Amino acid sequence: MKKLAIGVYVLITLALMVWGYYQAIYVAPLDEKQGEIYRIFFYHVPIAMVSSVFFAVSLAGSIGYLAYRYSRPERAQIFDAWALAGAEVAVVYCTIILVTGPIWGRRAWGMWWTWDARLTTTLVLWLIYMSYLLLRRFAAGSQMQTVAAVLNIFGALDTPIVYFSTHFQKVIPTQHPAPVFGGGPDSGVKDPRMLAAWGWNLLAWLAWGLLILALRYRVERQQQKIDAAEAQRALEA
Amino acid sequence: MKKLALALIVAVPLALLAWTAFLILSAPSYDWNANASPAQLDAAAALRDHLYRQAAYTITWAIQLGYLAWLAFKWSAQKPAAERAGG
Repeated sequence: MKKLAIGVYVLITLALMVWGYYQAIYVAPLDEKQGEIYRIFFYHVPIAMVSSVFFAVSLAGSIGYLAYRYSRPERAQIFDAWALAGAEVAVVYCTIILVTGPIWGRRAWGMWWTWDARLTTTLVLWLIYMSYLLLRRFAAGSQMQTVAAVLNIFGALDTPIVYFSTHFQKVIPTQHPAPVFGGGPDSGVKDPRMLAAWGWNLLAWLAWGLLILALRYRVERQQQKIDAAEAQRALEA
Repeated sequence: MKKLALALIVAVPLALLAWTAFLILSAPSYDWNANASPAQLDAAAALRDHLYRQAAYTITWAIQLGYLAWLAFKWSAQKPAAERAGG
């Protein structure tokens, strides 16, 4: 029954991907100013929005780990697995933002990169979470998970800064446009076909992200059980 | 069969990465012809837009499938240890 449910979910996700692509390429009209290059919007923006969900999952996992690490160790390990899985998927999504953005920028602005507030804070966010993942990978010892959880909480402080970085254009000039939603009076998608294409792609990338998040969580829980069994065997030897 | 599947999940993201690089590098340069007419310049710009859009979509899938391949490897590498641990 569980396998059937997973299979159905995978099929729905793939169907959403295909439908989202179709909407973005064949249904959404061309942008008057940017032409075809604006269609990167249908991957870049939904992926950026969905990435915040995974940063939030990771943050909640780290807070849960710190809250339960003494009172309920088993539950703390579950939270820690969510923290790691969330951070990893968020880094994957953030990497895509940092790669597709410059490809769009090269055509729209005439340059691959500029050190404006939005781009710089996004790069800093990516670097913080990369350091979190490297810490998880290479550090050893009983305090590693605690240190990583604290780093995760500090890293999460950068996510609202990324979002609001384009709100203070008078203070810090930015090349990057304001957020599509909640970015001021001129923000928002006006054409309903563009809005539909954006919505389908948002749903598709959310479904895909939740799938790989669940997969990564399962792999990490398995690893925790292997580590615990090996530690037990070492104690008994 | 299993080895073939593993080889495929590694090869596909790498092929997509190579394809992205090809798309970017094959786009007409900005100064491709100093004597080009406005219509030719417009056509070159439209082609650049098309190739760059394709490149952005392709690299998105290269990264996503690359990560999925890495997860699949990690999962399959865990199996013997998980069986020993009774998981």
